[in-house]
Formats: sequence, C-alpha cells, structure tokens
Amino acid sequence: MQVLVGKRAFLTALFVFLFVIPWIANEYHTFVANLILLYVILSLGLNLLIGFAGQLALANAAMYGIGAYGTGLLMKHFGLPFWISAPGGVAIAVISGTLLALPALRLSGIYLALATLAFAQFTFWLMTHWTPVTFGAGGFIPPPIDFSPLPITQETGIYYLSWGAALVLYVFAKHAMESPIGRAFVAIRDGEVAAQALGIDLLKYKSLAFALSGFYAGVAGALYSGMLGFVGPESFDLLQMVLHKAAVVLGGMGSVIGSLIGGVLLTVLVELTKEFKFSIEVAFGGLLIVFVLFQPNGVIVFVRRLLPGWNERLHYVPPGKETEEDFGAVPETDPEAPAEPDDPAEVPATQPRGGGPV
Amino acid sequence: MTEAALRVRGVSIAFGGVSALDTVDVDFPPGEITGIIGPNGAGKTTLLNVICGMNPPDAGNVFLEERTITGLKPNRIAELGLRRTFQSSQLFAGMTVLENMMAGLHLMSSTGLVGAVLRSKRMRAEEEEMRERALTALDFVGFRHFANRAGDALSFGQQRIIEIARTLIHEPKVVLLDEPAVGLSVNRVAELDELLRRIRDERGVTLVMIEHVIRLVMGVSDRVVVLNSGRKIAEGLPETVRADPAVAEAYLGHQAES
Ligand SMILES: Nc1ncnc2c1ncn2[C@@H]1O[C@H](COP(=O)(O)OP(=O)(O)O)[C@@H](O)[C@H]1O
Ligand SMILES: [Mg+2]
Repeated sequence: MQVLVGKRAFLTALFVFLFVIPWIANEYHTFVANLILLYVILSLGLNLLIGFAGQLALANAAMYGIGAYGTGLLMKHFGLPFWISAPGGVAIAVISGTLLALPALRLSGIYLALATLAFAQFTFWLMTHWTPVTFGAGGFIPPPIDFSPLPITQETGIYYLSWGAALVLYVFAKHAMESPIGRAFVAIRDGEVAAQALGIDLLKYKSLAFALSGFYAGVAGALYSGMLGFVGPESFDLLQMVLHKAAVVLGGMGSVIGSLIGGVLLTVLVELTKEFKFSIEVAFGGLLIVFVLFQPNGVIVFVRRLLPGWNERLHYVPPGKETEEDFGAVPETDPEAPAEPDDPAEVPATQPRGGGPV
Repeated sequence: MTEAALRVRGVSIAFGGVSALDTVDVDFPPGEITGIIGPNGAGKTTLLNVICGMNPPDAGNVFLEERTITGLKPNRIAELGLRRTFQSSQLFAGMTVLENMMAGLHLMSSTGLVGAVLRSKRMRAEEEEMRERALTALDFVGFRHFANRAGDALSFGQQRIIEIARTLIHEPKVVLLDEPAVGLSVNRVAELDELLRRIRDERGVTLVMIEHVIRLVMGVSDRVVVLNSGRKIAEGLPETVRADPAVAEAYLGHQAES
C-alpha cells in the first residue's frame, strides 16, 4: 500500500498539478489554486508556532494582513515596485510577529491567546480606522505589478511566485523541524521547564517561532495583495484567523505534510461552502470544534494509519493516543510489579522512526 | 579538603511570606553522591529549584565550581554543566526516546536556521554524532531497544531511567535528581542503586539526590543532608545522620513509629 502512494510521489504530483493549472484551468479555478498555495503557506507558518512550538497565538490573520497592507501601502504611498515593497511588507510582519514573542515569555495558554487576540483586534482597528494611511474600511487598490521583461500577466506572475514560495517554504519548514530547532520547539511545547533545564533558551526559540510564523503569514499576505489587486480589512478579520487555525487542525497539529494537506482541504471546503451558499462562519467554526474534540491531530492521522511511509519525525502524539498505531504495542508494565519483563520487540535503533526521507 | 563541586551559601527563599528555605549552607563534594532527605514540605525540591535557577533565592549564593550562578537563567546554568530531573516524569511526549536524548544534546549543536534549512554538511554531521551519542547513552542504561519508542509509551519506571540517562548525555559536572525512586518496583530500586554508583564511579559526576526510600539513600550516598522546615538540621556520613537524635526526631522518627 505504501508503495502505491509514497509521500514524495504525492508531493511531486501535487506540485506538478498546481504548476500546470494556469494552462489547463479557467481563470476562476486558477484563482482558487492560487488561494490553495497561499493557505498552504499560512497553514505551514501557523503550525510551526502552535503545532510545533505550542504557542497558542491568535494573531496569524493580523500578520497576514500586515504583509498585505505593508506591501500594498509601500507601493501606493511611495511608488515602490512590488519587488521592494513585498520584502518590506514581509519584514514588517516578521518584526510584529517577533514582538508578540515578548508576551509569550510571560503568558501561556488562554492568556497568550487573549493577548495576541487583542493585538489582532488592534491591527484590524488600524486597518479600518487609520484612514490617512490605510484608506480605511473601503480598502485600496495597489498599483499594478510589472513582471516585464517576462511576457506574463500579473495573475500568472503572482501565481507562479506563490507556487515557488509554497514549495520552498514547505521544504524550509520540513528541514527546520527535522533539526535541533524542531526538537527545541517540541521540547518547549511538551515541557517548558524541562526544556530550559536542558539548556534550551526560551527567549530565543519562542522568538524564532513567532518570527517564522510572521514570515510565512507575511509572504502569504504580500502575494495576496498582488493576487487580488485589492487590499481591505475584511480579508484579515477573526474569521480569517479561524480559517488558518482550521487548516492547521484539519491537516494535523505538529505535522508539516499535514499543513500542506490542511491548506488544500481548507481552501476547497471554503469554495464548496460558497458554492452552496452555506454560512462559512458556522461551517468552519463547527469543523474546528469537531476536529479539536474528536481528531485533534487532523487527517494526517488517517493517512499515517494507511500509509506507514508517511510517518514523520517529531510528530505530535498525545499521551495514550495513537501510540499503538504509530509505534507498535508496548506492554504497559506495572511499576509495582515484582519483575519487569523488558520489551522483547527490538526496534532497529539506528534507523529514524518512520520511513523514507522526503 | 577538596573544593566543592557545588556550594550553597546562606540561601533563603520565601513564598508569599512563608519561608521555604532559611539560610541554608551545603557543600557538595566532587564525584560524590549527596543524599537530601527530610519530611514532605521540608524545602528539598525548592533547594534544587534554587540551584538550577528556576527559583532565584531571596538571599544567598550558589556556586558551581567556584563560579557564582545565582540569578542566572536555568538554560545558562545548564550550559555551565548542571542537569536535573524532576519529581514527575518530564520526557517530551511528542518525541521518540532517541529524539528525547538528542534534545539533551541541544547545546552541542552549532547549526542555526540557515544550516538547518539547507541541511548543511556540518548540520548533518552533527546530527549523526548526536544520534551516536544518544544511542551510547541509552546503552549505558541498557535501553537502546527503546530508541524509536514514543517518549510516553514506556512504563513510568523506564521513563525515569531514560530521564537520568538524558541528564548524563552532555557530560555534566553536576546532576540533581528529585526523588528518582518514586513509584519504582523493588527490583527497579535495586537497579537504580547500581546505576547511581556507576554514574559516580564511571562518569565521575557529582550527584545530588532527594530521596524518600531510606534504604536507597542511606545505602548509596557518600554524605547525607537533612532538611526540616527549610533549615538544615544535620549532615554527614549516612551512619552519623542515622544516629543523630535530631534527625530521628524530625524525620526518621515518624517512619519508625508508623
Ligand atoms: N512555587 C511555590 N510557590 C509557593 N509555595 C511554594 C512553591 N514551591 C514550594 N513552595 C512551598 O515551599 C515549601 C517547601 O516545598 P518543597 O521544596 O516542594 O518541599 P519538599 O520537596 O521537601 O517536599 C512547601 O511549604 C511548599 O508549599
Ligand atoms: Mg519535593
């Protein structure tokens, strides 16, 4: 079975498919595919923060908005080209994101969620009310992006930029999480005090987690402003935050490949709810609740169960759940038992858990 | 007299006006096992928390090999060669045993974000070395075959032993153990006794151990310190402490009666 759909084959097929979309699909479907690419980026970035580093922050939509506004406003107010404005917008998102790590050093759980939510609401307020700068509730249209000398339209140009960014940022996230940085993130998530006792610097790694999620959201925002050719506050409200969170939870907290799947699934589901004129708030609020309650580790759990080759290093395994499927049954030994039979099932220790490197 | 590996001088700390430690002085000789005993609430865990930087003391100083570490953050103190375990199991649940051990080598890594993302040659070499060292450290406790298990898929006793192995992995000078025998079977306690001696004799680590299992702590410790209500009431060789009437009164007495 795992031979049938290897992880690498799936990834190749997905990205090849997304690459040819502008040639084979109509304008609307290409737009949806571009949204998929953006939600993959958003979901990856948010997962690094909440799924891996365990920081329950609710400011991702704000960061996304800062990337979009930063890019669009630098073009609009200063006449800068997209190639300078976009990195500028991303830089502003990274800086704001990193500053959010400061409350995260003192607060955790629900308090951190509230503090970051307050920041998001403040950002949203600035977008709607700081009219001289942000053009207020009505939003604004950034100047067109010049892709010359390439003979392509803005839509196509942004599409392929998004494609490249999603691919690069996927690999980036995967490599970062399979390194000492990923272990430090997960250590902080699973036990901050124990992590610190092993020499892990909370300030450094929490800041890094917030900066990375700011970077991902900023990149998605910059691309979004170019894709839509319009920037307005309603794209970055609380519903947007729910969508990002839903993409992460749907795919799988603490799974890089899960975020890729989550981003794709979420965008498709959003388009379907629109198609059937269903309340998007109800649909995704509900979906989020159902997943958090019944399958907090997302669809990637089912995929792993069917295809062992999809296992990852450092994936989230909640206590007492999924462990059997993922690691083979372990005889639970009674601590007070007179003699403890050590586990006979030898696991070849020189191989990383899971399968092929992707 | 040899210089102490770890020295606690005049340490006091109070929580909400209630004193948990009151001008405590202790020297921990290098390469020895020092047992810390005392009734519940005596301040034993608080003493470890002060030493490892989790609770900065209100007064007093802590020296690690003559260098003051008072007020440093726990991760800085860890960098200087101090490791600890906790009263409850603290393996990271989302990592395998091997990854948990590698997390114990966090400070060995010199790769930053760029090296990690580009999978630089140095990063891969370091990861490989960390893996080898993690497996060797698991060998030390005979748990190599658990390497690919989830951190929390093991019995409590096994988790505790792996945590001890994790404290040793980065060649620490001093290791603090908070009630390592809690919840262990009789056989496991005997194994722990042997393991602690091997850590001292083969690794030359200075061990500080809070323990309630009197047979273990009196058997394995080179010296014993007794805390009661935040004060040091006795210290010395296990036999001396055992014979001390003040100790019998404060602590051992309770046990003998019950
Ligand atoms: N963080 C804290 N906040 C408030 N009180 C504490 C804290 N840590 C310890 N204490 C108090 O300090 C005293 C000593 O506790 P502890 O060091 O845990 O004792 P032991 O480990 O010897 O059983 C207890 O009265 C405990 O309630
Ligand atoms: Mg205690």
